[in-house]
Amino acid sequence: MAVYKRRYNPYSGTLTPQWSRFFVLTRYAFAELFKSRFFVILLILSLVPILFFAGYIFVANNKTVQLLMQMRSAGLFSVENEYFIMVMIAQTQAAFLLNCWVGPVLIAGDLTNGALPLFLSRPFSRADYVLGKLAVLGLLLSAVTWIPGLLLFSLQAGLARNGWIWSHIWMVVPIIFCSAIWILMLSLISLAVSASVKLRIVATGVIFISFFVPAGLGEMYNSIMDTYWGRLLNFTEMFRLILTKGFRERTGLLGPLSRNEIPVPAAWGVLILVCLLSLVILNARLKAREVVRG
Amino acid sequence: MNATIELNGLEVQLGNRTILHGLTGVLKSRAIGLLGPNGAGKSTLINTLLGFHSASKGSARVLGLDSHTNGNALRSLVGYMPENEAFISKMSGVRFVRYMAEISGLPPDQAMERAHEAFVYVGLGEARYRPVGTYSLGMKQLAKLAQAIAHGPKLLILDEPTNGMDPPARKRLIELIREIREASDVSLLLSSHLLHDVEETCDEVLILRNGQIASICNLVEERRANRKFLELETIGAEATFTSTLESLGCECAVFSNGRIKVVMPDSMEIREVFKVAADRGVQIRRMNHRRDSLEDIFLNAMEQTGAADGRI
Repeated sequence: MAVYKRRYNPYSGTLTPQWSRFFVLTRYAFAELFKSRFFVILLILSLVPILFFAGYIFVANNKTVQLLMQMRSAGLFSVENEYFIMVMIAQTQAAFLLNCWVGPVLIAGDLTNGALPLFLSRPFSRADYVLGKLAVLGLLLSAVTWIPGLLLFSLQAGLARNGWIWSHIWMVVPIIFCSAIWILMLSLISLAVSASVKLRIVATGVIFISFFVPAGLGEMYNSIMDTYWGRLLNFTEMFRLILTKGFRERTGLLGPLSRNEIPVPAAWGVLILVCLLSLVILNARLKAREVVRG
Repeated sequence: MNATIELNGLEVQLGNRTILHGLTGVLKSRAIGLLGPNGAGKSTLINTLLGFHSASKGSARVLGLDSHTNGNALRSLVGYMPENEAFISKMSGVRFVRYMAEISGLPPDQAMERAHEAFVYVGLGEARYRPVGTYSLGMKQLAKLAQAIAHGPKLLILDEPTNGMDPPARKRLIELIREIREASDVSLLLSSHLLHDVEETCDEVLILRNGQIASICNLVEERRANRKFLELETIGAEATFTSTLESLGCECAVFSNGRIKVVMPDSMEIREVFKVAADRGVQIRRMNHRRDSLEDIFLNAMEQTGAADGRI
């Protein structure tokens, strides 16, 4: 019907598959995000370290450049598990910063304007809603963590000789899985915060607090009780522990592993617990209507 | 004819409070009004029909679909205009409506076309590229209506649609609602504090009081019945006039000063009353149809449930 014909007409056209509708939220959220110049700059800055890491791989595989740089030791530029741990730590920190900027506005905007009933009065569940918002952070943080990680791996595999790829193919698993748990945890925490705090600046502060305050409390607990289990509250350290073990690293970059090391299953357990806690908060906060108790 | 809304002992508890107490009733009309004082449970009923609240007992069916077990299928047939502010402030009006239409399942190009149509239809064509956050209250109401109709629902649920609107805007919105009802097969559930709005747009009314059904009234039948009830003021031969009317099947009651109340049979037309009056030399000085307004019906319902103080 032409727009100028002012008449109500029912819709009789085709409909999109129901499973795909969560992605409408993701698409619109990305469109809004890319309107922000600050976000674009932050995203580009998050990818800058990748250029340096790629340059490192190039130098490590190019004898001529090494000679030009007067490098005497051949082992100085090695692309092994320590290198990929370094890449992952740098990029997960970049993901943390991106998440702090993007996450707080995803749900808060809808809650502030009371838009949730509009979403949920359609054939669209709360799970679809969370999935749509989660996909925004999932895609965005993937773009700065495991996707560049795999690209660097492919670059090294292409430049290295002597079957490097086959002896290092196992690294693909920690690159993907360690990034996945970090992305999932960051995304769920920031969505839970976004569903609870409406002001962006406060929400960003709460995300920082949710990482640093438990870590501080854990250290206090360790000092008072003379134990090391308080480190379970340091989510970043738990992630690094998983990362180190995932890359089969025993010594070196992160220091030697001591006898008082938190078991890796416990570290996984903490991160999964944080994810579950965030889901509980989301479940409590995302209602089409406030329920009056009394 | 299938029922638009069917309530079978519907009970809803929120927290520890029972808000709806075993509602039972069938509403078959295409345009249903939902009336009741504050706290009667109107919004809770709407939220339950939309599947936002679960019934603690009983069930509710809308367009033949159970609101709990077929919630998704039901919501795909519904367009909902909430009572409170509900929008995305930074989006332009047309983008907001397109967004909502896409979530309802319309492909992006269709959603865009329907969003423009809906915006022009509700009379916001000129303001469609402005952010919704900059709209006046009346414009926001119209934008909410646009998002409710853009995906072409079978049932339009309007919760206090004229809230906060000035009289011309309110009139325009009521006209739009009537137009939508008449131009398509869309069913309508309208909750309002304004009896006049419900009277102008609805065929059937469900009146709630303290979470219970105070009355279900078919306004169409009520209006038809009222057309047969006349109040006359006459001068002349009352006795012969009333006896002639009675011989034609009317029921008459004569009062002082020539006032007569007449209930005509369904087959009789008003012109026959004038004809009898002319034949008998009776002057009819005044003739009124009895109009049991919705307000009377509402107040009666409130009184019958022991709530003469029921405020709207």
